[in-house]
Amino acid sequence: MFFVKTLEHRLTLHPSYFSAQSQAYIEEQLYREQEGKNTGTMLIIAIIDIEDVSEPKVVPGSGLAQYDVSFRAIVWRPFRGEVVDGLVSSVISGGFFVDVGGLAVFVSKALIPPQLKFSVEGSAPSYTDNVDQTIERGTQVRLRIKGIRAEMGQMYAIGSIREDYLGPLMQ
Amino acid sequence: MAGILDQRFDDDEEEDDFNPEPEQGSEPDIDEKPAANGDAVHDLTEDGDGVPTKAKERDDLEVKDEDEDEKDDDDDDAEDGIDGADGAADEEAEEDEDEEDEEEDEDDDDIEGQPSRKRRRKHRRNQFIDVEAEVDEEDEEEPEEDDDLPGEEMHPDDLQELPPGADRDDRKHRELDRQREAQFHLNAEEEAERLKERYGRQSRNKGPTGAVVPQQLMLPDEKGPKIFRMRCKPGKEREVVLNIQARILERANSREPVTILSAFERSKPHSSSSSTGPNPMAGMLYVEANRAEEVIAACEGINFVFMSHKPMMVPVGDMPALLKTQKEKQLEPGMYVRVRRGLYMGDLAQVHDVEANSTDVTVRLVPRLDYGLNEDVNAPVEEILPNGQKRKRTKAQVQRPPPRLFSEIEARKKHAKYLSRQGNLSGNTWTYQNKEYVDGFLIESFRLGALQIEDVNPTLEEVTHFATSSGEDGGENLDLAALAATLKKSSAGEFLPGDRVELFRGEQKGVTGESVQVYNNIVKIQVDPGFGSLSGKVIEASIDTLRKMFREGDHVKVIGGSKYVDEVGMVVRMKDDRVTILTDAEQKEITVFSRDLRVATDSGGAAMDSKYDLFDLVQLDAATVGIVVRVDRESLRVLDQNGMAKTLLPSAIANKLEKRRTAVATDRDGNEMKMDDTIKEYSGEQKTGRVLHLRGNSVFAQNRERTENAGIWVGRHSNVLVVAAKGGKPANAGVDLTKMNPALGKPNGGASPMPPPQSKGRDRLIGKTVKIRSGPNKGMIGIVKDAGAEEAKVELHAKNKTIPVKKDMLALIDPDSGKIIQGGIQSLSMGKPPPAAMPSYAMASGGGGRTPAYAAGSRTPAYASGGLSGGARTPSWKQDLGSRTPAFGVGGQTAYGGYGGGGGGGQTAYGGATSYGGATSYGGGSVWGGGGGGGASTWNPSGGRTPAPSGSKTPAYGGLEAPTPGLSAPTPGGYQDQPTPGGFRDQPTPGGFRGAGGSYQTPAAYQTPGGMMPETPGGGGDDGPGYD
Repeated sequence: MFFVKTLEHRLTLHPSYFSAQSQAYIEEQLYREQEGKNTGTMLIIAIIDIEDVSEPKVVPGSGLAQYDVSFRAIVWRPFRGEVVDGLVSSVISGGFFVDVGGLAVFVSKALIPPQLKFSVEGSAPSYTDNVDQTIERGTQVRLRIKGIRAEMGQMYAIGSIREDYLGPLMQ
Repeated sequence: MAGILDQRFDDDEEEDDFNPEPEQGSEPDIDEKPAANGDAVHDLTEDGDGVPTKAKERDDLEVKDEDEDEKDDDDDDAEDGIDGADGAADEEAEEDEDEEDEEEDEDDDDIEGQPSRKRRRKHRRNQFIDVEAEVDEEDEEEPEEDDDLPGEEMHPDDLQELPPGADRDDRKHRELDRQREAQFHLNAEEEAERLKERYGRQSRNKGPTGAVVPQQLMLPDEKGPKIFRMRCKPGKEREVVLNIQARILERANSREPVTILSAFERSKPHSSSSSTGPNPMAGMLYVEANRAEEVIAACEGINFVFMSHKPMMVPVGDMPALLKTQKEKQLEPGMYVRVRRGLYMGDLAQVHDVEANSTDVTVRLVPRLDYGLNEDVNAPVEEILPNGQKRKRTKAQVQRPPPRLFSEIEARKKHAKYLSRQGNLSGNTWTYQNKEYVDGFLIESFRLGALQIEDVNPTLEEVTHFATSSGEDGGENLDLAALAATLKKSSAGEFLPGDRVELFRGEQKGVTGESVQVYNNIVKIQVDPGFGSLSGKVIEASIDTLRKMFREGDHVKVIGGSKYVDEVGMVVRMKDDRVTILTDAEQKEITVFSRDLRVATDSGGAAMDSKYDLFDLVQLDAATVGIVVRVDRESLRVLDQNGMAKTLLPSAIANKLEKRRTAVATDRDGNEMKMDDTIKEYSGEQKTGRVLHLRGNSVFAQNRERTENAGIWVGRHSNVLVVAAKGGKPANAGVDLTKMNPALGKPNGGASPMPPPQSKGRDRLIGKTVKIRSGPNKGMIGIVKDAGAEEAKVELHAKNKTIPVKKDMLALIDPDSGKIIQGGIQSLSMGKPPPAAMPSYAMASGGGGRTPAYAAGSRTPAYASGGLSGGARTPSWKQDLGSRTPAFGVGGQTAYGGYGGGGGGGQTAYGGATSYGGATSYGGGSVWGGGGGGGASTWNPSGGRTPAPSGSKTPAYGGLEAPTPGLSAPTPGGYQDQPTPGGFRDQPTPGGFRGAGGSYQTPAAYQTPGGMMPETPGGGGDDGPGYD
C-alpha cells in the first residue's frame, strides 16, 4: 500500500564541503540516498519535499557536520493479506518468484491452485493448466501476500494465488 | 398404592418393576369377558403370581397405559415368532398382521406424545372400561367404531351388544396362539428377565432427569448378570475367547445355544516381559453369564481352559474395575516398534502388517547379516560331547553383524545356494536362508510379546534407515504420521506463554487462543474472539488436546524433534499438525510438526554456533576452496570451486578465508569485476548472480532465485560477463559527503599528484648498535646485522652469536655513551610508521637543529601533495627557499613553510627542503640523506632524528592527499598571526601526523584542534585558539 510518510534522516557533511552550497549538497545527498531505499519494512518510492533541514552540528571528534533532515516521501509498504500485482521473475519446480516492485515474493507450490501444474515442456519452465492459464517468466500475476520477512535493506515475502481472482492476469 | 403393596407381599417384585405383565393377561380378559369367563381365569394363572389383574391395573394405571404400546410390540414380535416357527400361516395370523399394522400406527401416534382423546377419556372412567378400550384398539374395525360411537364404544354393554362376528373369533384364535407361543418360547424366569429389562428402560424414560443417566447408576448390581472367572493356560487367553466366540456362532441356531453374555480376558500379551512387570491377569478368563452352569457349558471342551477350576464369581464391587479399559496402543502398519529378543534385540522395526488376531505382527527390519563371511569353515560341524549332548556354542563371542540393508551381491558371494529371487516382478524381493527380504529389509513375523510397543522413541537416525527407501517424494521423506504415533506424547515444555494454540479434541475442539500460562500439563488459554461465550475468557486445557497454530506466512523456526532443527522459514501450508515451511536459507520446503516450531523473530538466519557461516569462503585443501552453502549443526555443505557440492564436517575444513572486499578480477571481456557486481555466465546455463567471492580463477556468485546450493554457483573468470557493476552504483553514487571533497583534492584534474614514496633498499637499522629491552636476552647489546619487517638479527657483543629479535624489543643506543636513544628504533624502521610520534618529537624539540628538519619532514611532502594553491607546489617551495614570505602569500600551506622559516634554527632544514624541491626525489628515502644539508649529519645517532622522521613520514605522506587541504584552510590565519618560531618548533603537528600512522588520510587526526593544542608549548597558549 502506498503512503505519504514523514521521515527523518541524518546526514553528515565533510568539512571540505562546508560552503554556501552545503545545503544543496545535503539535499542532493538525501535524494540520492533515500529514494528507492528499502528500509526493511517499506520502500521509499520518491521524496515529495524536504520539510526541514536542521542547523548543522559539528560532531565532536571528527569535524563532520551533522544535519537532521525531515522530509515527506511516498512509501510503499506491503502488508500481509494485501493483494498485489507483480511480474514473474523465475519459475522453479517448487513454485515461482514474483517481483512486486522491490519486493521478491515467492509463491510456493502449496499456494498454487492444484490445476496449475509444473511443466518444463517447451522453452521455459511454467505452471500451466494447459487451457488458458500459464505462469512463466514475465507473466503478470495477481497474488495475495501471505507473509513478509523483513531484513535490513531487503524484504522477502511469500504469496498465494490459491484463491478466486488471483493468478495470471489476462493480457 | 402403598397399601396394596403392603398387603400383597408376593407382588413385590412386580411392583418394583412396574411389571406390565398383567396387561398381557388383561387383553385376553377383555376379549373374553363378554364371551367367556374361563379365559379370564386362565389369564390369572398365566400371570404366575395369582395377583388379580384388575387390582394391579388399579395400581399401575399410569404405568400401564404407557406400557401398552411396548407390550403390544412384544406381542407382535411373539406372534411373528410363532408364525415363522410353526409355519402355521393361517388366516388368523394374517389378520393378526393386519392388526399389527394398525396397532403400530396407533403406537406411533402415542409415541409422538399425543395420546388419543379416547384414551384420556378412558382414564376418567373406571379401570375395567379402560382395559376393554385396550382391546378395542386391537380391533381392526375400531377406528370406524370410534367414529361411529364416540360416546359409548367403551361401555361393556355396548360390547356385549355387538353381534358375534368373525373378528371376535379371530381374537380367540389369536389368544390361543399367544398362549401357546408364550409357553413355547418363554419360561418364567426369562420372562421375568425380559420384563425387568423392559421396565428398566421405562423407568429411565419416565425419569424426571430425562435421557441422561449418571454413570454411577449404571454400575452393575447383584440383579444383573454375573461375571465368572475361569482359568486357562497363560498366553492362550485370547485364543480361548476367540474359540468361545466361534462356539457361540456355531451353536446359535442349535438346540442348546450358548447362553453366556460375553467372554473376555484382561491379560496383556505384549507387556508380558519383565520390563513392564508380571502380568497379573495371565491365565484368567472372564465370562459374563447369569449362572455358573452356562459358563461351564460355554467353556467345556475348549482347548486350554482348565475346567478343573470351578467358575469363580467376581464380586459385584470388583466388576467395574475389571471392565475398566485402559487406552491401549493400537498397532498399525508404519508404526515403529522395538524387538525385545534375539539377534535384533533393541533394533527398531517398522510394523509391516498386523495379523487379524493382533498377536502376530510382521515387521520390517534392517537385517543384520554377515552373509557367512564370519563362518568358520574349518570348524567341526557339531561337537558331540561324551554324554551325548551337543556342546553349546558360546554365542557371546559371535559379534552381532551391523545392521545393513540386504545386498544380494554380498549374499551371492558365499551363500548363493541360499538365495533365490521371489517371483515378484515389481519388487526387489529375495529369499535368503528362508527369510524374506524386500527392498533390502528383512520381513519377519514376531509375536506381539516379542515386541516393545511403548516407549519406542526412535532416533532420527534409525528412522531415516526406513525413510530412505520409502520416500518417493523428496520433500517429505519421513512418514510423519507414523512417526508421530510412535514418538512420545507432547510435553509441556513445548508450549510457552504467547504461543498461539488450537484445541483439536475434546468439547472445545476448534477453539483457538493464545497461551497465557503453562504449568504441568495444563495450558491456560486466552480464547480468541469469535467463539461465543468463550471469547476472551481464559480456559484451561491439557496439553494433549492442544497443538500450536500458525498462519501461512508466519516466520518460524524449527526448535526440535526433527532433523531440520534450527531451520528458519515461512509457513506455506498447515494441515492438521503438520506444517510445511519454506526455509529461508535454501528455499526448500520441509514438513515438520507444529509442536516443533516456534515463531521466530524476524532477524532470520539460523543461530548456530558453527565456526562457519553461510556463504563463507573456506579452504578445503591447498588447491581447493569452497563456499558454505548450508550450515547444519554438525556438518557443512560446501560448494567447491569445481562446482562440486559436498557435505563435510567442520573439522575437514582447513580454514576460513576472509572475504576480500577489494578483490578485483577481469571478466571474459576484460572488464573489471568486483564484489557484488551482477554477472552472467557467458556459456552454459547463462546463470546470473551477484558476486560473493573472487578467488583464484573462480567466481562464486549467488542468485536467490535458484534453489540448488542456496542459489550459489561457481564460474570461471573467463566464462562470466559483468552485467551491472554493483547495481549500477558507480554511475549514481555521487560524491561521498562524509569524505574529503574530491574537487578540492585534485588540482590537476584528478591526476594522481604523487606516487607513494616508499623506502627501499637497506634497512637503516642495519649496522646500528642496539640493546635488547626484554626477553631472555634482555639487556644485551649488539649490532644489527640484518633486519626485516618485524625482526632483526642482532650480533651480540657478549656472545659470539647472532640471534633474531623482534624489532620492538630493541632499543637503539648510542654506541659511544651506551645511552638509549628514545624512539630511535621506530624512526629507523623501514616502511613501518612509528607507533608513537612523541618520542621523536621530544627529541626534535630538544635540539634546535631538529626543528627545521621537522618542518621539512612533516610538512613539505604534505604540501606537495595537498597544496591548495592550484599550481605545482614544488616550484613554490623552491621559491620558499629564498624567502618565506611569498610562501605565505601562496595560501594556507605555504604558511607552514613560513613557519619553518620562522624557526631560526630551521633554515638548515630548509636546505633539506630544497631537496624537496626536487620532489621527484621523494621516491627514495636516501634522497633525504643527501638532501638535508644539516640533515645529512643527522644520520648519525646523535642528530639522527631529523631524517628519521622524514624518512618515516614521507611514505605516509604519499598516501596523504586529502587531509592537508583540510588543515590548510584554517591554518594560515592562525599561522600568520603567529610568528613565534619557538612555537613552531614545538608544534606537535608532525607528531600528530606521525601518531596518526596509517590513518593519515583521516582528516580527523589531522584537524582535530585538540590534537594540536596541547602540544603547542610556547605559542600554544594563545595560538591554540588561533587554530580553531
